[in-house]
Amino acid sequence: MAHTSGRGGASGRGGASGRGGARARRRRLVAAVAALTLGAVTACGGDEGGEPDALQLWIMDGTNPDAGPYVEALQAEFEERTGVALDVQFIQWADAHDRITTAMAGGELPDVAEIGTTWAPEFGAAGALADLAPRIEEDGLADDLVPGLYDAGTVDGATYGMPWYAGVRSLIYRADVFAEHSLEPPTTWDELRDVGLALRELEPDMIPFPVSGGGEYGLDPFIWGAGGDVAEPDGEGGWRSTVNEPEAIEGIEFYTSLATEHGLSVAAAETWLETDQLESFQNGEAAMVINGNWTIATLLEADPSWADRIGVVPIPGRDGGFSPSFVGGSLLGDFNSSEPDLAWELITLMSTGEFAASWAEQSGYFPGQQSLLEEVQERDDPLVAPFAQQMSEAGANLPVTEKYGAIQGEQVLPRMLQAILSGEATVREAADEAAAAMDETFAG
Amino acid sequence: MRALRPWLLLAPALGVLAVLLFWPLVRVVSLSFQEYGLRQINTGESNYTGLDNYREILGDSFLWTTVLPNTVLFAVSCVVLTVVVGTLVALLLQRLGKTWRVICSTVIMMAWAMPAVTGTYVWIWIFDPLNGVVSGGLDAVGAIEPRETNWFTDRWSFYAIATLNVVHHGFPFVAVTLYAALLTIPRELPEAALMDGANAWQRFWRITVPTIRPVFAVVTILSTIWDFKVFAQIYLMPGGSGANPDVLNLGVWSYIQSFSRNEYGMGSAIAVLLTLLLLAITVGYVKALAREGDQL
Repeated sequence: MAHTSGRGGASGRGGASGRGGARARRRRLVAAVAALTLGAVTACGGDEGGEPDALQLWIMDGTNPDAGPYVEALQAEFEERTGVALDVQFIQWADAHDRITTAMAGGELPDVAEIGTTWAPEFGAAGALADLAPRIEEDGLADDLVPGLYDAGTVDGATYGMPWYAGVRSLIYRADVFAEHSLEPPTTWDELRDVGLALRELEPDMIPFPVSGGGEYGLDPFIWGAGGDVAEPDGEGGWRSTVNEPEAIEGIEFYTSLATEHGLSVAAAETWLETDQLESFQNGEAAMVINGNWTIATLLEADPSWADRIGVVPIPGRDGGFSPSFVGGSLLGDFNSSEPDLAWELITLMSTGEFAASWAEQSGYFPGQQSLLEEVQERDDPLVAPFAQQMSEAGANLPVTEKYGAIQGEQVLPRMLQAILSGEATVREAADEAAAAMDETFAG
Repeated sequence: MRALRPWLLLAPALGVLAVLLFWPLVRVVSLSFQEYGLRQINTGESNYTGLDNYREILGDSFLWTTVLPNTVLFAVSCVVLTVVVGTLVALLLQRLGKTWRVICSTVIMMAWAMPAVTGTYVWIWIFDPLNGVVSGGLDAVGAIEPRETNWFTDRWSFYAIATLNVVHHGFPFVAVTLYAALLTIPRELPEAALMDGANAWQRFWRITVPTIRPVFAVVTILSTIWDFKVFAQIYLMPGGSGANPDVLNLGVWSYIQSFSRNEYGMGSAIAVLLTLLLLAITVGYVKALAREGDQL
């Protein structure tokens, strides 16, 4: 509001210099400048005023397709409990990181905001987030939080975000095509390759298993499944990359060989992002993809008949069992609110109990509380339960350090994948280069 | 008071310029001498490290082998092609009858009016290796195997597509500007030359080019500036946002350093270098232009 009056002042000033006598002009100029200054002053005053009339909350747009009723219920409940209004703003995932950074620079951060799991260590290290560990401890919530999600927000004993909801990737396949050729979904890596080779023969127009080079979340399960890891703590408080160690190499080799040796992918997929891969599945081209539980809702929304044509299994392990998959999701962070008690009240209201369950259900994600997650798993929906199983039995985490955000920003692993897939480098060379790039960032 | 009046009248414009241009410029230069990350953003503290950022960038072989050659070669080819195509289209417009001229200029205006982001997606779609128009056509004549083709991973084909995109988006401005300039050439000049037996080639180089040389200079300088700082057309292409380091240019590299890696100091230093490079080129152009002006 105050900003608008400032802008009005500026345009008044522009108009004043255009017409009228010199004296009138000057008088108007003075008035306009005064208005402008006043606007600026009230703008500051509004932000730093003593008692809070409303708590600011930022959440991501689009997670919950119809968030309106939820937000209204939340506002009503919060106001009833605390007597303070709740101001909710929706922001876009795509520019949320920049938006929070800009707000940080301008001192305009909200009290509470939804943040991606990998941002917690980043903003936490920058000193922008409050440590919630003592409060979680005090309320006895720690034991019931989904471990992968809880760990993702915890650095050196400080917890910078309360688990809100989560998602996980598993193997989505065309159940109708599999049934037509009496194929079974794979339970080991060898079976994954063999079923892909069989599909290549039986359905020559389809892409059995696109290996997309633009994202790392399809690759990670194979690194972890082979017993490797992307990076590990170096024992001195830092991290070092392990992506070029034998176990990780084995996983990368298997995953990329599906494209380079066995022809289960196409060259176009070398530059695909996860969304392109989903699109190829949606177009009826891809037969198997590793993609997230939230994409099921997207598929069904576009065409409800997908329900009979898709199947889901957890990502197969090398010799059975499951390969771990990255648990991504959202945390609720307290951006050093001037009202920490109210902020915590809001965070617990949203992330536990009724409100957490209804948000997860409406958005197609999983709640961040273990007890709620188990309830979902027990419902045994064939398009939900395998994801829930993946999350509770084979969920994994990427290195929890602010540095890993920079490594992801630089796209170190997609870079490695593309070099291997396009034949520019061998697995060994590309992995060595990726490890060197990571170590440089870890050290810097 | 009288002496102050012009400044008072200029004040609003100067104020706007100072806030919108000068202050950000000062900030970028000052950031480029700092190690500035999220922590500094949050606290607002400065963290000067002298010339470290510049030393690191200029000492990075990646700049010399990949980023700079990509930026310069790409800009040079785009500028040459834009001006050549623009000139040819302008000459065409001059020869067309009224109806066709209106139709042609409307069509090229549409290329110009298309936002860079939309245009880029259209070109990506056209060259989509699997389902694109081009790969479909080449597949039909048996020239390629779409399942084994990806033009976006190779540096040369990647930039060939980007060049098409940028030239397609940039030539209408050149064409329209040059067409306007062509109309200012007195009719007697080419007529006299025609009488003397000059052919079209000679008339173009001996009459058209010298007469409207300043306009050529302006469109070349503007195209150079635009093509050096191309960002969206590279960043949005598959692999262009960092996954394929072979295709990075200065603009995208700066963005990745600043916003993807949260190293705002480093990103600012790259931006300052890009500005200096552009400034040097522009000054060179203007000087050459001034020299020619003296000779005439």
